[in-house]
Amino acid sequence: MSAVLTVDGLGVAFAGFKAVDGVSLIIEEGELRVLLGANGAGKTTLMDLISGKTKSTQGRVHLRDTDITNWEEPAIARAGIGRKFQIPSVFRELTVRRNLEVAGCGKPGVFANLRFGLPRAARRRLDEVLDLIGLADEAQTVAGTLSHGQTQWLELGLLVMQDPKLLLLDEPTAGMTAAETLRTADIIKSLRGTHTIIVVEHDMAFVREIAQRITVMHLGQVLAEGDMASIEADPRVRAAYLGSKGIH
Amino acid sequence: MPGKRTLDYAAYAVFIALILCAPLVLEEFWLNRIAKFLVYGLLGVAIALSWGYAGILNLGQGLFFGLGAYMMAMSLKLASPTSLQQGSATPVPDFMLWNAEPGAKTDLCCINHGSFLWTPFQNPWFGIGMAVLAPVLVATVIGWVMFRKRISGVFVSIIMLALVLLVRLVVIDAQPLTNGFNGLTDLGNLTVLGVELDPYEVVTYYVVAGTLALALIATRLLVETRAGLILQAIRDDQNRVRYLGFDVPLYQVFFFAVSAGIAGVAGLLYVVVAQFASPTFMDLSFSITMVVWAAVGGRASLLGACIGAIGINIIEAGASETQALVQAWRAVIGLIFVLVVLYLPRGVAGFASDAADAVLSRFGRKRPPAARPASERVAS
Repeated sequence: MSAVLTVDGLGVAFAGFKAVDGVSLIIEEGELRVLLGANGAGKTTLMDLISGKTKSTQGRVHLRDTDITNWEEPAIARAGIGRKFQIPSVFRELTVRRNLEVAGCGKPGVFANLRFGLPRAARRRLDEVLDLIGLADEAQTVAGTLSHGQTQWLELGLLVMQDPKLLLLDEPTAGMTAAETLRTADIIKSLRGTHTIIVVEHDMAFVREIAQRITVMHLGQVLAEGDMASIEADPRVRAAYLGSKGIH
Repeated sequence: MPGKRTLDYAAYAVFIALILCAPLVLEEFWLNRIAKFLVYGLLGVAIALSWGYAGILNLGQGLFFGLGAYMMAMSLKLASPTSLQQGSATPVPDFMLWNAEPGAKTDLCCINHGSFLWTPFQNPWFGIGMAVLAPVLVATVIGWVMFRKRISGVFVSIIMLALVLLVRLVVIDAQPLTNGFNGLTDLGNLTVLGVELDPYEVVTYYVVAGTLALALIATRLLVETRAGLILQAIRDDQNRVRYLGFDVPLYQVFFFAVSAGIAGVAGLLYVVVAQFASPTFMDLSFSITMVVWAAVGGRASLLGACIGAIGINIIEAGASETQALVQAWRAVIGLIFVLVVLYLPRGVAGFASDAADAVLSRFGRKRPPAARPASERVAS
């Protein structure tokens, strides 16, 4: 196994306040890592730093052997990091199929894309992705009319279509019903192994369902790292985040 | 939705056939008028591309139209008989002579400080080329600055609005070079490849109608490409596109420049048909009028916006010349705008598209393709 993502002492300060402070992480090929932490622990900010939305003030980020610290967002995306946002963002006036086509265009330049239709391989993958996210019957539906859960799945589909080396998922089950959450867990589990994934999540049922390794953040720093059992048993985690009663 | 796309293409085909057949039934005077309206239709296409597809509401499209118009008009002014009889070996526009300092040499090189800029326009091809190139270049520079800085939405509208007024002021102020308020008048006819494009000849109409047909088809094909799809994605959610790895400003600048180029061609053709260029092209009211055409026709549809521009102008011409409406025709136009905004928020094309959907889903396959209601012709 080799490291896909190496985060080394990453940090950012907003007017003196250190939202993320010296975080180091190594994500192995094919791993599914869950980032846990209370509100304000710096989970989303860490994703912002990795994906280039926020520029870091200390530390480095390596994607395999490439130093991608503080690159522009599209460059980081092209290097192989896909990002799903907390508030689902899809192309609301386009159909589900067209949404996925955008993500499957591959080449970044405008002139390279002055041609019709997707390459055959991408078209085949598009149908697979439609099945994976369970929207095959909605392929011709305009994305703006999808339910909240379906919109989340579509955005997940965009990422799979983009086929990055690493997927950053920021609360993929936010606002979902219990049934939708389970369905999302199934989708993410089916990506496990073939994709390397970091998930930020609050929903403990969901975390329990998917988690292998968990990193707990607190006040911008890594508090603990390990599997579900050792995290639950860790007294520092209990004190900082879970409360004295443990994980529910 | 099977058949929808076929209907859409049929609408393009019917429209293009109609404008190409118009000379069979129309006389010269109306042909010249319709040619002007087709030029407005071209502006509708430019607006639909930037507003409907790119989500950039440009309230200064008149800048590109005006640039194209002036570039062409400079060539045609030099080709005019009024420029040739000034006691000079090379043509000199009459207004330059009127504005000249006493004792200035009657020659384009040096009759005033900027007149040398006119020299290459003696070749009509230079004027034609610049009428397209100048708007494209200006749009590229403006677009590059705006979109790199991630300026969007209403701020783009305001910047473009300010720019068009600024350029209008400069053009009016540069009286010795541009004839200021009066604009460029008394133009000659454009002669290319041995054909003289007299505004009242059928051949001129065909040049305009042919250009519109080509522009419609080419623009439609352009938005059907992957780049066009990405452009629409940028309209819906810029940020999402950025995180998929695309250089968002590159796409915005490209399509902004294409839209400007189309507006430039419209300016060029307008000068050929109307035989003048004036700073009024860069009035705020004209740029806003264009947007209204597109809104009425349907900004999400290239053909819709084009038909909107032509239709409104035909109604306007008809209403302003009907005895009973001479006093009230502006109210008639206003009423149409209000009704469309209230009841057809996606314009006539949106209505036609919904009607086509309803018909297709209700009658499905039973309906023979030949029997389509006329309203579907603008479906897009």
